[in-house]
Amino acid sequence: METKRQQVVEVTRSPKPLPSEIKSAPLAPEPVKRENRSRERRNRPRVPDTPPAPPPPPRLSDYETIVGGAELDELRFVARDLRGKTMKMVNSTAVGGGVAEMLNRLVPLLTELEVSTHWDVITGGNDFFEITKAFHNALHGGDYHLTKQVQEIFMMYNEQNRQRMHFDEDLVVIHDPQPAALINARNGAHARWVWRCHIDLSNPNSEVWGFLRPMIEKFDAAIFSSPTFARKLSVPQYLFYPCIDPLSEKNKDLDDSIVQKTCDDFGIDRSRPIVTQVSRFDRLKDPVGVVHAYKMAKKYVDCQLVLAGGGASDDPEGAVVLQEVTEAAGDDPDIIILNLPPWCALEINALQRASTLVVQKSLREGFGLTVTEALWKGKPTIASAVGGIPNQVIHKLTGALVHSVEGCAYQIRYLLTHPEFAQKLGKNGREHVKENFLMTTNVKRWLLLFRIMLQKNGS
Amino acid sequence: MTSAQTLDLRTRAARKPFYFNTSAHLLRIGRERATTLGELLQALRTCSEDSIFQHTFRTLEEHHFIREGFSNDFAHWAFSACNEPGLAERLAGVDVREFTSVEAVRERIVHIVDAYIQSNPRAGERVAREPFYFCASDTVILPTAFVAHNLPEFADGMARVSVHSIHHHFIEARLRLKLTSNDFSLWLEEEMEMKKAARRVDHIDIYTATLEDVRRQAIRIIELALQ
Repeated sequence: METKRQQVVEVTRSPKPLPSEIKSAPLAPEPVKRENRSRERRNRPRVPDTPPAPPPPPRLSDYETIVGGAELDELRFVARDLRGKTMKMVNSTAVGGGVAEMLNRLVPLLTELEVSTHWDVITGGNDFFEITKAFHNALHGGDYHLTKQVQEIFMMYNEQNRQRMHFDEDLVVIHDPQPAALINARNGAHARWVWRCHIDLSNPNSEVWGFLRPMIEKFDAAIFSSPTFARKLSVPQYLFYPCIDPLSEKNKDLDDSIVQKTCDDFGIDRSRPIVTQVSRFDRLKDPVGVVHAYKMAKKYVDCQLVLAGGGASDDPEGAVVLQEVTEAAGDDPDIIILNLPPWCALEINALQRASTLVVQKSLREGFGLTVTEALWKGKPTIASAVGGIPNQVIHKLTGALVHSVEGCAYQIRYLLTHPEFAQKLGKNGREHVKENFLMTTNVKRWLLLFRIMLQKNGS
Repeated sequence: MTSAQTLDLRTRAARKPFYFNTSAHLLRIGRERATTLGELLQALRTCSEDSIFQHTFRTLEEHHFIREGFSNDFAHWAFSACNEPGLAERLAGVDVREFTSVEAVRERIVHIVDAYIQSNPRAGERVAREPFYFCASDTVILPTAFVAHNLPEFADGMARVSVHSIHHHFIEARLRLKLTSNDFSLWLEEEMEMKKAARRVDHIDIYTATLEDVRRQAIRIIELALQ
């Protein structure tokens, strides 16, 4: 008997055959008679082949309809005492990755508030970035043996950047470990130096952390994304939650026609409940666990499952995970697996908005910005109690926290059959994001930090 | 109230205008953390006043949109991480409006946790599902664009300031004033001689209302007085 396979909608930049050509195995008869039109259309999703040109960064006034004029006035009042002061941000990449994305929005907004902010990017050879990638993994708890040679290469590139850069600003912010040794440029002048750590240091490799720690303790303060990610240090530690930009392609309000079109393109039936997980095809995101939870819930409630993510085209492990997910999905036509390129922010936005529930059943997680995105869209969200997720999902108040496949299945059933409660979670979740995890809140945190640092300096 | 009295209220000029201010807070990660109720008790005794303020007064502001089931971080942790609903209920019953100092709030919370552990010794050693991380905040007081010289301006300002300003004047104020009252009620009573309205504003329940509800209810009380 031929094995039946789940359809995977795959959109990649390379001229690969259409999914309909490579996924030709027959589908199982549907348990409920439904139109097949949607499934046919799923074969030819219309998503861009190349990344769209980035839109110009928003101005502060663009946020007024979202956070209110009073909030923006508060930002202006905090910034007023900082006029004429200067700040420098230093990180390791100008494009790609969450830090660059955040700085691309943050720097223009700070500058608009007349806090002149410069952004410098360190340079280095492949050997340097291989080392810093290894550091990154080691700081997340991976095995790593730190040799003297590695230390010397790390310090050499930092020294090269130190000689190339100028540090005349009042506040210097160094992002992540790569440029941490630039602290050696501190020359006793008035400037304050802060280290912004975007990674989880709860369980670091002791050799790498032992190497970096003396540098970090030369800063005036450190910033972490969650108390659980922090280490005990001799310097004050501040908490800056990561944030989303409500005006970005991934989070801006969408006309319902765009949502409908996206669903039509992907063969998603909006007249029936939609449960969605957005994440890379990565075992730590447990997409197979989500399929099992959906199947357990499906015995009692009708719904479709959308697994939308990327990583399967450029990452060999991602392709294996995608295969595992496809096999776990079997012949269920209500499981829609979307392997999307990274520039499909608008499509992801539309899928999240079309969802009845959003799931993030990760086994391990950083802060979990996909959860933030779902909450911002007012979606009842079911998420694992890992990483930074409990900072966002307060169980039964802003969402549902789960610890297992069974728990996830139960919450899918419960929330689909208690829509008023689900709606209340969604409403609270959106308010939680508005208060704590939006770009405007992040701007305020930077301004406050700057003021507090200057006060400590007696300026 | 006669129409003459209402007209008087509308036009009465305050001797001292009401300056709407606001507070902005930056969260600091503290040194203390607790994995059991026993450790929580120990940390509660030694942590900074800023930490107690953060987890009681400030958390109300951070979660101002929630109407039920959230009063302070200690109660929430006792419930969600320690599975001790009895303790959580007692801690949730701590109403910050009854206190005019953070130290007094600390004493009350310490007393509740201590008494609970005394009567449930095993509860003190049971490891929680997740640790409690003590935080604190650095605060910056800021002006806003709004000043009220009379009652209509007062209602207008209240409608337009941020919820942070409402929290600053309505909840944090008692620590500044050292009175079990708030800035709004004090101004209504002292400048507008509206004792009854002042009392009604002070009685708005912050544990069953969001800060937006507080704003709406306070404005409604003023509007009723002006009718």
